[in-house]
Amino acid sequence: MGSKWNKSSLMGWQFVLLPSALILLFSFYPMLQSLLLSFQSGKGTVYQYVGLANYGRLFSDPMFKQAVLNTLLYLIVQVPIMLMLGLVIAYFLNMPKLRFKGFYRTAIFLPCVTSLVSYAVLFKSIFAVDGILNKMLMSIHLIQEPVAWLMDPVWAKVVIIAAITWRWTGYNMIFYLSAMQNIDPSVYEAASMDGASKTRQFFSITVPMLKPIILFTAIISTNGTLQLFDEVVNITNGGPGNSTMTISQYIYNLSFVYTPNFGYAATVSYAIVVMVAVLAFLQLKVGGEKQ
Amino acid sequence: MKKWLSMLLLVSMTASLLAACGSSNSNSAEKGGNEAGSGGTKKVVAWAWDPSFNGAALKIAEDLYKKDHPDFQLEVIDMAKADLEQKLNTNLAAGVKDGLPDIILVNDPNIQKYVTAYPGTFADFKEKVDFTQFSPYKVDALRIEDKIYGVPFDIGVTGMFYRVDYLEEAGYKAEDLENITWDEYIEIGKVVKEKTGKYMATINPNDEALTSILLQSAGSWYITPDNKGNFVDNPAMTETLRVYKAIADSGIAKPVTGWSEFVGSFNAGDVATVVSGVWQIASIMDAQDQSGKWRVAPIPRLNVEGGVNASNEGGSSWFVLEESANKDMAIDFLASTMGSSTEFYERFLTENGGVGSFIPAFSSEVYNQKPEFFGGQAIYSDFTRWSTEVPGISLGMYTQEAKDALKNELPNILNGADLTQSLANIQKHFGQQVQ
Repeated sequence: MGSKWNKSSLMGWQFVLLPSALILLFSFYPMLQSLLLSFQSGKGTVYQYVGLANYGRLFSDPMFKQAVLNTLLYLIVQVPIMLMLGLVIAYFLNMPKLRFKGFYRTAIFLPCVTSLVSYAVLFKSIFAVDGILNKMLMSIHLIQEPVAWLMDPVWAKVVIIAAITWRWTGYNMIFYLSAMQNIDPSVYEAASMDGASKTRQFFSITVPMLKPIILFTAIISTNGTLQLFDEVVNITNGGPGNSTMTISQYIYNLSFVYTPNFGYAATVSYAIVVMVAVLAFLQLKVGGEKQ
Repeated sequence: MKKWLSMLLLVSMTASLLAACGSSNSNSAEKGGNEAGSGGTKKVVAWAWDPSFNGAALKIAEDLYKKDHPDFQLEVIDMAKADLEQKLNTNLAAGVKDGLPDIILVNDPNIQKYVTAYPGTFADFKEKVDFTQFSPYKVDALRIEDKIYGVPFDIGVTGMFYRVDYLEEAGYKAEDLENITWDEYIEIGKVVKEKTGKYMATINPNDEALTSILLQSAGSWYITPDNKGNFVDNPAMTETLRVYKAIADSGIAKPVTGWSEFVGSFNAGDVATVVSGVWQIASIMDAQDQSGKWRVAPIPRLNVEGGVNASNEGGSSWFVLEESANKDMAIDFLASTMGSSTEFYERFLTENGGVGSFIPAFSSEVYNQKPEFFGGQAIYSDFTRWSTEVPGISLGMYTQEAKDALKNELPNILNGADLTQSLANIQKHFGQQVQ
């Protein structure tokens, strides 16, 4: 019996050997390399080991602080809005009486299959000084002068938040929708008979039953927001000033726009790794099942 | 039997994977520009970023060079500028040289950065080209210690393009725009705005093109030649930011957020002047319906010691990779075309509107042409005359870092923060960025 298990296990190992080797080579090896790199500093290929100096620099770097603050702001404001919106939309799309469901689902999901760059360019042109939004607001006399959305530090952030919300709400909605369809309708029937209102049902049945899915979407959204890059680069390029710059853009700048310092860029990358890990841990602690 | 099948599957998967790696390797080696092809033809590979400008220049050069070297072959690989820079950086940082071309186009502010960050990577042209034949400020940018890394290519000598119809409507003649200061420019702008309703200029707080032009016109730059921040106690910097704020405050500038809006503003006839590099001619001429309405004057000057009515924006140069297999041929190709041929610059100007920095070409007949679009003004000879007045500066290796440090503080400056304090902040910020 034992030898048979060994034989099939050997067979299994043969199958996972190649993928494992590839993962080790292309995923774990670079991680280790970049960790080593984060202890070096210099320009381009002129490097030296500096110990923890890069990590020290991180804490006194105003640009890094600015990037972290911007990114966290996106996270704190955008993720809850997006998840709530996704949940509400999914709830309405799940109503049995709703007509043209297929159309609505497709329409709301469509943004997240558009190309990152093209939708960013589209947002940029909508919010331009002589863009369509200003024209609309002026034609209904809500504003007198065109607003320079992308040149105001606050409005620029709002535009970025609107852009990512527009693109990713549909993505989260799909998760919620499929989870909702797994809830037994009889639960709602029973609740209705007991006199629970629709709102009450939503908060007391739907949301609690979706908890694992909400946790999952919260973690992937956090992860995604911390790595935000395309939208900011294409809509505002980090401006005005550096008021919309994200950590990922800062890493890109350190590597490819400034005099390249790949060592310090690796250090900043590891800062993201730590933040993602800590936030995911916190979310699991707060929202996870208590064993 | 099953085991045998699975082994076969595994082996074939591994084999196909390795084969894929192998083939991509051989591809990149070929792209690297070793002697390729049969029949003894020699191929040089070049990376450039604008097929209708610098790519086209390479084609003209190839055409000329082939007359004496019939077996010469040039392959131009066109990429977006940011992609090219990123690819160069990653290749060099990884130490992988065989994916790189023989010739590469380098934006002038990047020159020192590349040469310092990747020592020994680029070939020295000092003995190969007569650099006294080029505008001195272009050669200054290429000279690092006792070597000169590359062949100067296009220049960005600036001019003030203006709509003659708008300015006449506001009561100004061409002479009124000659040799003015920026304060006079703002005053003219106010009249133009009042009488025609058109903006005088555009402003983009997220773009440092204007501050760069202003600084260089006074022979100053964001950083000192020894790569220190040049913000505090720099009269040119203080004056630049004062003027910048004055333009923003005066209401004569239309706010734009990006390049396409900037180009759109003058193509749509929203602004009366565009202060920009000579290469902007192409974009201005895109609006065919505005033919005959444009002229060019020298840019306004800063009211500080050494301030002149000439400056520079952008420009690029050709580098050759030191370890390229065809290094000598690539150097010879560049030296005998863009490095010494008047004919090349004549054709480049006629076919693509490109102005180089090769002085002997300036006396050529084509530089005296008078485009209809600019009302018969001999704009190219004007630009080349101004190019000899541009103050030479050292761009250093931290231009981008300095610009970003400035950009960070710019909103505060525009909101009326104390300039001395702001400059000190920028200097400190910059110091932290380049440690």
